[in-house]
Amino acid sequence: MKTALAFLIALSGLPACATVSQNRRARFADPMMSIGPRPLDAARHQKLYDAREGASGGDGTTAGGGCGCQ
Amino acid sequence: MKRAVRAGVALLACVASSCIGSSSARAQADETAKNASPAASFSDSEIFGPPSDRLKLESVTTRITAFDQSGYGYQSQAGPLLGPGSERTTILEPITEIVATQGDRLTHRVVIPVDIVTAASADALDKYRKKPDVLSHASRYNEAGAIDWTATYKTTATTDVSVRSAVHLEEPLRSWSGSLSATQTIADGDATLSESLLAVFDWFDQFDILGFRHGRTQRSTTTGSFGVTQILTETTAVAVNYGLSVQKGELGNTWNSVPLANGKRGAEQLPTERVRHAAVARVSQFLPWNGGLHLYYRLYHDDWGITAHSIEGELMQRIAPFLYVSGLYRFHHQTGADFFTTLAPTTAEYRTADSDLAPLDADTIGGRVVVDVPLDARTKSLHFEAGYERYFRSNDLQVNVLTWETGYHF
Repeated sequence: MKTALAFLIALSGLPACATVSQNRRARFADPMMSIGPRPLDAARHQKLYDAREGASGGDGTTAGGGCGCQ
Repeated sequence: MKRAVRAGVALLACVASSCIGSSSARAQADETAKNASPAASFSDSEIFGPPSDRLKLESVTTRITAFDQSGYGYQSQAGPLLGPGSERTTILEPITEIVATQGDRLTHRVVIPVDIVTAASADALDKYRKKPDVLSHASRYNEAGAIDWTATYKTTATTDVSVRSAVHLEEPLRSWSGSLSATQTIADGDATLSESLLAVFDWFDQFDILGFRHGRTQRSTTTGSFGVTQILTETTAVAVNYGLSVQKGELGNTWNSVPLANGKRGAEQLPTERVRHAAVARVSQFLPWNGGLHLYYRLYHDDWGITAHSIEGELMQRIAPFLYVSGLYRFHHQTGADFFTTLAPTTAEYRTADSDLAPLDADTIGGRVVVDVPLDARTKSLHFEAGYERYFRSNDLQVNVLTWETGYHF
């Protein structure tokens, strides 16, 4: 619980970090630099892990794991 | 001295003339604006034409993934009476993603996955279809398909709202899901806040471990999550996310079995509720030699007693403007469910021998090659991707994953 609370406090403070102007974000235009997985990559990993690890789900995706039948 | 005075006078004259010049230019501009202001307020539609509500295809991507799994688990009856039994299965999953825009604000994303699965399914058990033989009929096929549609509407320049609905069909299972999510960019686009709410309802056949069907059963899953993505520097971005899932209903597949202390097999018995927490952190770092590094950490805990840590790193290297390669490693460690066992007492209230709920370590290694070929004005680029991953677990499960992807961006 303490860990979760500390995480939430850290989360709420993140947008206060230093800003980077728009003309200096060219690196992030490269698909290689995408911070999140592409939808089809996410689907493949969900297929691989959610049906094989009981500790899947809970993070905004479909909660699976432990029954192999989602 | 004279020369210095002359230079000072010249400088003053220059400054004065530039001031006069600029003030007269400003006055002239004001006068022009005053005269032109009623006619100069052109709207976007006057300049670019009225916005069209017609669908415009942005991209079509198809991917075929093959999962080849081997290993053993105590929940499987494809082996000795008290296990472990085979978990051998092969899955072929073609998937198509179509992205289209409708006007300036609306984006549709439709994903259609199809699964063709051998073994490890209710098909291998179903007594009413053919002779019951979970050992030798484990190669039967099961097909599944889904349609997943997400519509994203840009309500303001910085806020998107998405509505997602999906239906999943396979022989023993029907599943419906819907979600509502919103994202908002702040700090001049440096940070993005996201929130989502997802509800899933599964309705499926209830089998016993001998393969007899006993009507239908159901479960529901409700998930809420929120996160922040932040650009920290010109080369570093981070994202954190927290999610909570609550599941209720039949939380097993109903045909998993458990070796019992009396020398027989019994049905898996699971609680009818499960609460799951997950926190995820990601880092995307540009590397000076035209490479990229993605780091991922996930902390998970649920009220069945499972705590897990997953770390992942993917190192990418751009070889050419249209080509990059990557290598990936992931390590996952989880504790087992409180009631996991490979030999349960007959009096146990809850029991499972499912190898997915066991304490385990899992490793994944893999790599991929990604090619984006620029084309003519009609088709902007072609996208190709080939990948391989090997997943192997400390409790005897191995999966080889092969992927081939082709995409067209219009």
